[in-house]
Amino acid sequence: MSSGTASASSVANTKTTAQDILTGLIPLFLQLRKLAWLIFAVTTLLFFVLRQAGDPALVLAGNDATPEQLAAIRAQFGLDRPLLIQYFSYMWNVLQFDFGKSLASAEPALGKVLDMVPRTLHLAGMAILLTASIAIPLGSWLGFKPENPERRMVSGFLFVMQGVPGFVTALVLIQIFAVNLRLLPSLGYEWYEPKTWVLPVCSLASFLFPSLTRVVAANVAEAMREDYIRTARANGASQMALLWKHAVPNALLGAAALIGTQFAALLGGSAIIETIFSWPGMGWLLLESVQTLDFPVVQALAFMIAILVFSVNASTDLVFRFLDPRLRTKGA
Amino acid sequence: MAGHQTSKPEGPVAIAKAEGASLNPLDPIARFNRSKLKQYTNIEIVVASILFIAIVILAVFGAFLQTHDPMQGDLMARFAKAGEKDYLLGSDHLGRDLWSRAVAGLQWSMACALTANIINLFIGTTLGLMAAEKEGWARTIIRQFTDTLQSFPFLVVAIVVVVIVGHGFVPLVFTLGLLAWVVFMRVVYAEATSIYQRDYVKAARIAGVSRIAIMFGHVLPGVRASLFVIFAFHFAGLLIAESALSFLGIGAPLGVPTWGNMLAESRQYLLKAPGMLMVPAGAIVLAVITMNLVGDGIASLSRKRGRSIDV
Repeated sequence: MSSGTASASSVANTKTTAQDILTGLIPLFLQLRKLAWLIFAVTTLLFFVLRQAGDPALVLAGNDATPEQLAAIRAQFGLDRPLLIQYFSYMWNVLQFDFGKSLASAEPALGKVLDMVPRTLHLAGMAILLTASIAIPLGSWLGFKPENPERRMVSGFLFVMQGVPGFVTALVLIQIFAVNLRLLPSLGYEWYEPKTWVLPVCSLASFLFPSLTRVVAANVAEAMREDYIRTARANGASQMALLWKHAVPNALLGAAALIGTQFAALLGGSAIIETIFSWPGMGWLLLESVQTLDFPVVQALAFMIAILVFSVNASTDLVFRFLDPRLRTKGA
Repeated sequence: MAGHQTSKPEGPVAIAKAEGASLNPLDPIARFNRSKLKQYTNIEIVVASILFIAIVILAVFGAFLQTHDPMQGDLMARFAKAGEKDYLLGSDHLGRDLWSRAVAGLQWSMACALTANIINLFIGTTLGLMAAEKEGWARTIIRQFTDTLQSFPFLVVAIVVVVIVGHGFVPLVFTLGLLAWVVFMRVVYAEATSIYQRDYVKAARIAGVSRIAIMFGHVLPGVRASLFVIFAFHFAGLLIAESALSFLGIGAPLGVPTWGNMLAESRQYLLKAPGMLMVPAGAIVLAVITMNLVGDGIASLSRKRGRSIDV
């Protein structure tokens, strides 16, 4: 990353002023409008869909509740009012970040979700870190001379790996490292115990790194055909300098977009891995709460995931602007 | 991949001589070497075709190729190893034949992914073409909707919807079918907008060809190559999504022999019967790789690249 920054800042001939940063933020504010619309749409849709899926009062009271108990619960939670009134009062509460209490544990739903956020970010962050640290060197190596026979073998291996879903890898890894070799725990999560991270992170990364490697390799291969590489070569730059100073920084621009997409997809999308390893994150909570029809938690989760995905996308955008001087709009 | 595309100016006879093949017009190998087919054939495409044909045969004639009833177990023959007691790939915790169950799972997965994929193709293409045609409210709404759908991790949306609509083939197919079309829409939109700027489309418009005829008769053929490629890659993605949802216990009904269910069952017997894990895992991986290979093959033939979706 640092070489990319260095070449970017050497190309930009003016120093960055506070005003530049502000103009750079304008797209972010435009994006915030999108986020508001997204949250509104998702909350509304979920509200009506979830009400169709099941009766919250029935969930609260249990299946053997008497009609009187049901009526009491409906009155207590305001579920006896017309749906539209319920909707507006619900949206009013959402505006104040109040999603109600979890039907399962009577804790505030948003608080329950917020507990999960760091754990999911931990998992997703480490998976992306591992993915990038495998994919970028490997992809650069592959893209430098793509027709080389041993590199073609590695490409073939990547192609096969791309076809192995993360949860299949997870099960196979458990079979090998937890059941047969008894080296690592097959489930559980403690933030201070790195042993519990290894398998989940490797499972996620195993599915992510082949596509990133292929993108980096393709970008490096394409960059190697560019004129500036020819010029640098004519100027007597060494092979290593060609690759690391000129080709890779440009290839990483394309890869950064995919890294952002992959990271966003892991926020909640890691549900299967989290379930397999009993990793108490957002995806795990999503499955739990959807299956028990714990509507407030599902709503709070959707809200949280929307915000997180948005933040990831917005920061990918910012990183792009930082890395790629061509994207900076400058008045003369 | 590019190995066979180098043109040889000497002509077919010279090539045949150079490669030491006979010039007998009835010799099939020589005929193949001289034919156009050879130019378009490489090892990947051959492997992809063989695997693909095998999958199609298993999916269509699966009932005749199963050695046992996939649902009926023999409790006397639990955890049989591969090849034991005429179990080709062994048996599971209820003494059911893993090979027959894997074939049944293939039929389920293929039917599910194929139907969902066709629905995706139809929705995505139609919306993409409509959005590409001209600026206006249709484009705004369609793009906004696609962006909204895309900004959530697909699995999150799928989990919520599948749990709400319930177990079974039809709910699963429609969940995947109605939610996963974003790839098609985006590619069709991107390509069709540029095709709409071409002269021949403008000429057709001036000549008074109807909007629908332009859309499907003039623009759609230009997108066709990419659609084939996405269809294959997306098929692989849907296979993964389907088995993932079944694995979580929210896709296929419990008890139905699908790869996802088989994987979920295997988790309790990892020590006793690793085959219960390896058979469905291998089946998923083979199927996904086959579809990826087919996609790659079509892409290299049409020299266009599609994107695979990340689940």
